Amino acid sequence: MSSHMLVQMPLLAVIGIVACRMLPVRLQDSILVKVGGSVPCVMVALFASSYWMLPRALDAALNDPLAELAKFLSLPLLVGFPLVLAWRRLTLIGRGFVWTNFISMLAVLGWLYIVAPVRVCNSYLVNDQESAGWYMVIISVLIFLWWLGTLMVGGGMGPDKHDSSGSGTTLA
Amino acid sequence: MASYTYTPTPDQGAKAGVLAYLVISAVVLLLMMLFGLLMRMEQAQFISIGGLWFYKLLTLHGAGMVGIVALAGAAVMWHFLGQYVQLTQGIFMANLVLFLTGVVMILGSVLVGDFHAGWTFLFPLPGTSMGLWSQGAAASFMGGLLVIGVGFVLLHLDIARAIIKRYGGLGRGLGWPQLFGPDDGNAPPPAVVASTMVTIVNLIGLVVGASILVMMLVNLYVPTFEIDALLAKGMIYFFGHVFINAVIYMAVIAVYEILPRYTQRPWKSNKVFLASWTASTIMVMFIFPHHLLMDYAFPKWFLIMGHIIGYLNTFPILIVTGYGAMMIVYRSGIRWDMCSRLLFVSLFGWAVGAMPAFIDGTITVNYVMHNTLWVPGHFHTYLILGMVAMVFGFMYYLGKPDENAKDSPIDVAAFWGFVIGTMGFTMSFLYGGKEGAARRYAEHLPNWVPYDRLGSIFAMLLIASVLVFIFRFLGRLGLARRDYQRASLARSMAT
Repeated sequence: MSSHMLVQMPLLAVIGIVACRMLPVRLQDSILVKVGGSVPCVMVALFASSYWMLPRALDAALNDPLAELAKFLSLPLLVGFPLVLAWRRLTLIGRGFVWTNFISMLAVLGWLYIVAPVRVCNSYLVNDQESAGWYMVIISVLIFLWWLGTLMVGGGMGPDKHDSSGSGTTLA
Repeated sequence: MASYTYTPTPDQGAKAGVLAYLVISAVVLLLMMLFGLLMRMEQAQFISIGGLWFYKLLTLHGAGMVGIVALAGAAVMWHFLGQYVQLTQGIFMANLVLFLTGVVMILGSVLVGDFHAGWTFLFPLPGTSMGLWSQGAAASFMGGLLVIGVGFVLLHLDIARAIIKRYGGLGRGLGWPQLFGPDDGNAPPPAVVASTMVTIVNLIGLVVGASILVMMLVNLYVPTFEIDALLAKGMIYFFGHVFINAVIYMAVIAVYEILPRYTQRPWKSNKVFLASWTASTIMVMFIFPHHLLMDYAFPKWFLIMGHIIGYLNTFPILIVTGYGAMMIVYRSGIRWDMCSRLLFVSLFGWAVGAMPAFIDGTITVNYVMHNTLWVPGHFHTYLILGMVAMVFGFMYYLGKPDENAKDSPIDVAAFWGFVIGTMGFTMSFLYGGKEGAARRYAEHLPNWVPYDRLGSIFAMLLIASVLVFIFRFLGRLGLARRDYQRASLARSMAT
């Protein structure tokens, strides 16, 4: 369960992130304009990633090939890709909203998995679920500390900050 | 070695948003004080409102006071920080709208839904009301707190953005290059250092608070998702203690910014100042276990940490600020008026108010004193005579007609009424605590009642004085928006 939720699925989102960053900046900009700007992109990423946090979505992905296909397509295309598109335009407030929302959700979901009175995924055992929950809580704390660390040294500013890579798509 | 000289800066009027914050703060503060008076009069057996209303008022008073002093502190911080960095007016107002939305939810929960589990909403009380309030009322209370928290997260993200943009990072906002390297005299001003500290600790506290609130909301509707009660208490107190500590660190910016204008002496961001703020940035997040010392089930190291850090964190900023203020005022020829008086007395209130907490933070004392009125004695002193005095000082500063304007005798009388009323009111708590009067009890034993009666009388004096402050501020709202010299120059300067 941990490798499914915390390794495979994030890596699928990373594929979308990498794919988007490989596109020319001008193309990224034109796609961003066509899809309505950064807010819709963030919303799509939030809802798509929230769906794949549901236990029954995990079960479906393991039991139904169509759901598995949807996972392999939606995580890169609806989470990683739009997030990178939006990221360049978000200020620290927007980025901070995404980070604090993601961190809180991850921590709370992990907590729910730890204390759930029943097995929430048919495909995994209770101890899998509990260890996945602990990993989520630990990862959320580490991400939070890392994010705060970037603020301490001045990273994650948003579009006003000059980015040495030229693409302006630093993740913090 | 850096040299510090005072550079005169114009006294700017407040933006409409700041005034909206202050007006709402003043009105709600007064209302909450009246609720507090009613509770004290109930304990004093002057009136009889009954247990239900006592605990409803206790819940409103606790949550309302924490929220409203945070709002007032945010107004002070935003006003002065905005003179150094570019803040976003829209976010500032969004915080106000979210705050008011949260307040309506909380008021509805308590007044309509009869929720009365206290501001601490300790698990599992909100979900186990035994029929005294509904699930919806508990959800509305916790949802209201969550909405208020979201507003403050947005506000602090905007402050972080502005500080990072201007100074290059929150570390630089705390003056780390000057603290850990040579002091070139270019450290950020105290207002920026304090705002950076508050932003860091509040962002952490609010995320932790949001997590426990969401978990408790889940538990409210699906009780089989059990929460470890001890963990819940730890998280609630971490969030609550960081948040209420932060309010005085916001409001003290008024002291850093306004007193130098009176004395024409700079408030130095030197190494000692920067070190104290950095130390407190860390320590303020580990001090909260002094409220949990009676929870023997917590790990021993955790409680010992609370004891030690409680001792250590009492002093750095307080001493640096108190000593700094005395050095700024000493032989400066300062001309005292309502603003400078209130700001100066606020440091006394802060220092005096911290001492009972320092004593209560000692484990052996805590076992005996923590559940008594000693603790309300502590936080009422440091909040009213410390933090709230800073806010009223700021209000007098904004509304001062001109630099040579004289205070009316009514204002001066109100100042002394405020100081004596607060001291008497808080001493009745402290002395009641010493005599063993339990806190959070609607009904008191006969031998506790005399302290309650004295406390009620002093509270009336305090509220009467606050009424003068508030009416004076409301009457001068028109002046508060204009830019002109407000601070009376020290006699040595005003030749």
